Amino acid sequence: MEDPHRAPTNPALAKFPSAVLEAFERYRATGDTNAVHEVVLAAVEDYAPPGQPSSTPLTDGTRLIEDLGYDSVAVAELVFFLEDVFDVTISNEDILRVRTLGELRTCVSQRLASRPSA
Amino acid sequence: MNPVVTGIGFITPIGNDRAGVEASLRQGRHGFESVQLLGNPDLPVKVAGTVKGFSVDTPNWRDWSWPAEYNVPKETLRGLAPHGLYAICAVDQALASAGLSDKDVAEDPSTGLYCASAGSAMLLHHNLAQVRAVGGVRGNPMGVVSSISGTLNFNLAARYRITGTVCGFVSACASSSHALGYAIDDIRLGRLKRAIIVGAEEVNADSLLPFAHMRALSRQSDPGIASRPFDTGRDGFVGAGGATVLIIEAPDAAKARGAPVLAVTAGWGQAADGFSVAAPHPEGSGLLMAMQRALADAKVGPDKVAHVSAHATSTPVGDKAEAVAIGRLFGAKGLRPPVAATKGLTGHGLSMAGSMQAAFCVLSIAGGFIPGNPHLKDPDPECADLELPRETVANRPHLVLSNSCGFGGSNVSHVLASPGTIPS
Repeated sequence: MEDPHRAPTNPALAKFPSAVLEAFERYRATGDTNAVHEVVLAAVEDYAPPGQPSSTPLTDGTRLIEDLGYDSVAVAELVFFLEDVFDVTISNEDILRVRTLGELRTCVSQRLASRPSA
Repeated sequence: MNPVVTGIGFITPIGNDRAGVEASLRQGRHGFESVQLLGNPDLPVKVAGTVKGFSVDTPNWRDWSWPAEYNVPKETLRGLAPHGLYAICAVDQALASAGLSDKDVAEDPSTGLYCASAGSAMLLHHNLAQVRAVGGVRGNPMGVVSSISGTLNFNLAARYRITGTVCGFVSACASSSHALGYAIDDIRLGRLKRAIIVGAEEVNADSLLPFAHMRALSRQSDPGIASRPFDTGRDGFVGAGGATVLIIEAPDAAKARGAPVLAVTAGWGQAADGFSVAAPHPEGSGLLMAMQRALADAKVGPDKVAHVSAHATSTPVGDKAEAVAIGRLFGAKGLRPPVAATKGLTGHGLSMAGSMQAAFCVLSIAGGFIPGNPHLKDPDPECADLELPRETVANRPHLVLSNSCGFGGSNVSHVLASPGTIPS
């Protein structure tokens, strides 16, 4: 899965906290699924519209639209960002099935798992 | 009922607020810097009217920075082009100068938004390159709204929650003068009480180089002489970026809330050359008619004009055509109102140019001065009919004519007046 020619740090994540960058590097080095989940969580928090309660921790059951206030454009932005970060393509059909954070994590992990190894 | 100007906002090469811009105009201080585009020192574009205090050089909004006094949340930034960021800062300024808050314009059906920009060539190119790099299977969902020529109206309408009129204008370098004109008409017709007029452009390799390839840009490397409207040595325009905003209101609405009245938009006119896709009519025929129509709309004759703010971009053919048009309007009656070509200081802001000039005219009227032409050393004999003061003139012009000309021979003129000069 590791591509030796890729830059050590993904530029799309350059402005994210160091813990997120470290998680991404850990995923690249080990394929650690938990590390993928950390990056997905950070992206979901970053793209969440303002005005939602921030004190409640996000769980796999947190719904993007009903709980976090996402609209269809924000979902599309989030998915494109994750596609860019992980260099995968997520189909419209897959996006339409995603309602919760957990389903999004699973979707990204499945796309990574089905990707041909470099 | 002529609308009145109650607010102005500036992010320009010569200043990022009213005081800074007025000082630059009074002192003849230009806003040019040396630039190297695409890292290629051999390109003929050496100088630009740059925007200071912002860093928006990359297509990723996460990399951008801007003056700390402006609050631009990331949910707004995601759909913005760099010139959209300039525009939001200028709108915030203009609203504040008009004594308005975001809440005053939000969801107010009597407030309209009139925008002008060419879009973001940088983001359009970047977004489509991303699409092509992955065989077309994915792309930035905000790619359209951040890059096409309606990007200002899309984003500002959402940012300020405008519910009156939202529209955009694409007549190239006459665009924001058209925006101002149609905003004036909507207020005169009673459709709105207030309008926000926005002109904005980027200044980068993607916005500038296509004009170099038309041979329209100056090849000069000296920022002090690159933009020389009406000078014999002029050799093309210097590109500029930024944003300029005017707030205009129905006079009764402005009076009712005790708003500051900086100037009156007394009339406007437009006419086309019907001549070329890019070059002006050599006799400036469309511009002459636009000026005549603007004066007729304001119900004043050329003898009342105290100052002309010329479109003059420092191109050989454009300045000459405008000089002919101004000469035919005024010279034929023995009139020589002082003419200022402020692009000698700012460079050419393209779609922003008309709103920037109109806002400069407001500064002249409110501040009591006429900008000079400090870069003019050797006036072109073909522009001899023009009165071109080198230094700032310390007179208040009570009635000003401001010209704009765009590709396709589109010409717009505005008449701005000091309060009380023309019945509103």
